[in-house]
This record gives sequence, structure tokens and C-alpha cells, in this order.
Amino acid sequence: MARLTTQEIVSELNRAFAEEVEAATRYLHLASAVRGMDRLLVEKFLRESVNETIQHAEVIGQKIRSLGHVPQLEIRVVCPAEPLTARAALRHALTFEEAALECYQDLLRKVEGDVPLEEFVRSQIAVEAEHVAQIRELLAE
Amino acid sequence: METWKEFDQNIITHSAAHHLMAVDDLIHQFGYARVSDIARELSITRGSVSISLKPLKEAGLLLQDENKHLRLSERGRQLVAAIKTKRVLIQRLLSSVLGVDPTQAEIDACKMEHLVSNATAQRMVSFLKFVESDQDQARRFRECWAAFDPSCAPSTNSCASCSDGCMAERVGGTN
Repeated sequence: MARLTTQEIVSELNRAFAEEVEAATRYLHLASAVRGMDRLLVEKFLRESVNETIQHAEVIGQKIRSLGHVPQLEIRVVCPAEPLTARAALRHALTFEEAALECYQDLLRKVEGDVPLEEFVRSQIAVEAEHVAQIRELLAE
Repeated sequence: METWKEFDQNIITHSAAHHLMAVDDLIHQFGYARVSDIARELSITRGSVSISLKPLKEAGLLLQDENKHLRLSERGRQLVAAIKTKRVLIQRLLSSVLGVDPTQAEIDACKMEHLVSNATAQRMVSFLKFVESDQDQARRFRECWAAFDPSCAPSTNSCASCSDGCMAERVGGTN
């Protein structure tokens, strides 16, 4: 596979950056949308996830800067005003977390051969995979 | 009439219609459609696509195989075909008949394509068939329409269409 140009790598990283920022926004909404006693079960996890995904975004932003570029952000988030159960919120989170994980897995295939970048993407995959596993465990699915 | 509330209940939102059409377009282009392809096509994140596709899968409009390749169900295909046809229909009606600028007609058709009922679309088809036909009445209709002066002369008070004040003024200027 032909190596990606720096511009192409930055475009891919911008996509990952958008996934993370969008996920943070969604977690923030989910943390507020869970109603009733279910809040006791998942609010802490969802709020921690806001911070965690923002940290992931910062790491991506840093990587883009290290390549001599400025992150470009284009997101569109619509979160409906619907009360959620803890389970529904976690299922929702699992949907976008799996999508983010696939984004990094695809990126890994594209940067094959570029060892530092490969290592960077691998570390992101490890973190994302752990988060996905954590949600699956909570859902017991 | 609480028709506006139906918009919130309708599973085929503007966004859903675009997701379904993106799947259809990608399948025609490449023979398959994945979440990543849809995200690229619509310039949104995969997370956003995955969340939007969920209700469409639950409604049985989209199917996903073990390789995560998406395809439209029979009902999904029918729906996409109807939406695409309505878009062309509305566009033609606005542009060819009403004389709306083609670019604006395309934008407005995009906004309406998923909302117009099949019954209304059928009447639109009939109307277009009539207007574009070679019948004498249709020819006269086209001539009269082309020559019609829409200004409210001599005053808005004498306008039969606007009993409750000038509609043209209330609609607003061109934008």
C-alpha cells in the first residue's frame, strides 16, 4: 500500500479528532438524559467518559500539531430531548464508541509501515478497545 | 390539526433520507456501503452515522451482513426510489412550471422530498403531465401563466387571493 502524504494523514487524524469531540458532547448529553434512580448507576461513568474522550481528542490534536498542522473540526451533533434508562444510554455510547474504534482500526491499516504513527494509532486502539470492553461489561452483553 | 407533531414521529427525517440515499448511491457506485463510506459521503463522523442508522435498521429499512456491509431492504429500496422520484418531481414543478431558479428549486426539493405524501406526489405527477402535454388547454395554460402579472395592481385590497392581507408581502423577499 502506498504511503499516505502528511496532508492525507492529517485529514484522517482530523476525522478521529471529530469522532472524539463528538463523543465527548454525546457523553455530556447522555449524562444529563438518564432519569430516575438509573442516574446512580451510570452518571459517574458517563461524566468520566466526557473527560476521557476530551483527553483522547487532545492527544489527537497534539499529534496533528506535531505534523505542523492545526486541527480542523467539523461536527454535527443532534441529541434528542428524550429521557433515557442507564441501559439505553450505555447502548448509545457503545454505538459511537465502536464507530470510533473502527475509525482507528482503519487508520492503522492506512499507516502501515510508518512505525511512529503506527505505534500512536495502536495506543489509541488499545484505549478505545478498553473503553468499548468496559461498556460491554456494564451492559453484560 | 397537529400535523407538525408528525414530523417528530416520522422515522424518515431529512437526515435519515440522506443516509438511505447515501447507502443506495454507494451500492450503485461500489457494490457495497459501509459506515465509513457513508460518513465520508455525507461529511460527518462515523459515530453520527452509526447512531442515525440504528433506527433505520430497527425499522427494517436497512440490513447489515457479517462484514458490516449495509444494504437496503425491499421496503428501504422502495422508500429511496419514492424519495428520489419526489425530489425530481418537486424540482421540475418548481423550476419548469413555477419558474423558480434551478439551484433554489434543487435546495427546496431536497427539503421537501421526504415529507410530501404519496397522494400529493401522485397529484403533482398528474399536474405535470397536464402542463407539459400538447393539449390546447395546457398550451393556453402555459401561455397565460407566462404572461401573468403577479403584482397587486391596482391595490392589495382588490386581490382575490389575499383576503387576509398581502400574501406576497408576508412570505418575505427572495433569499
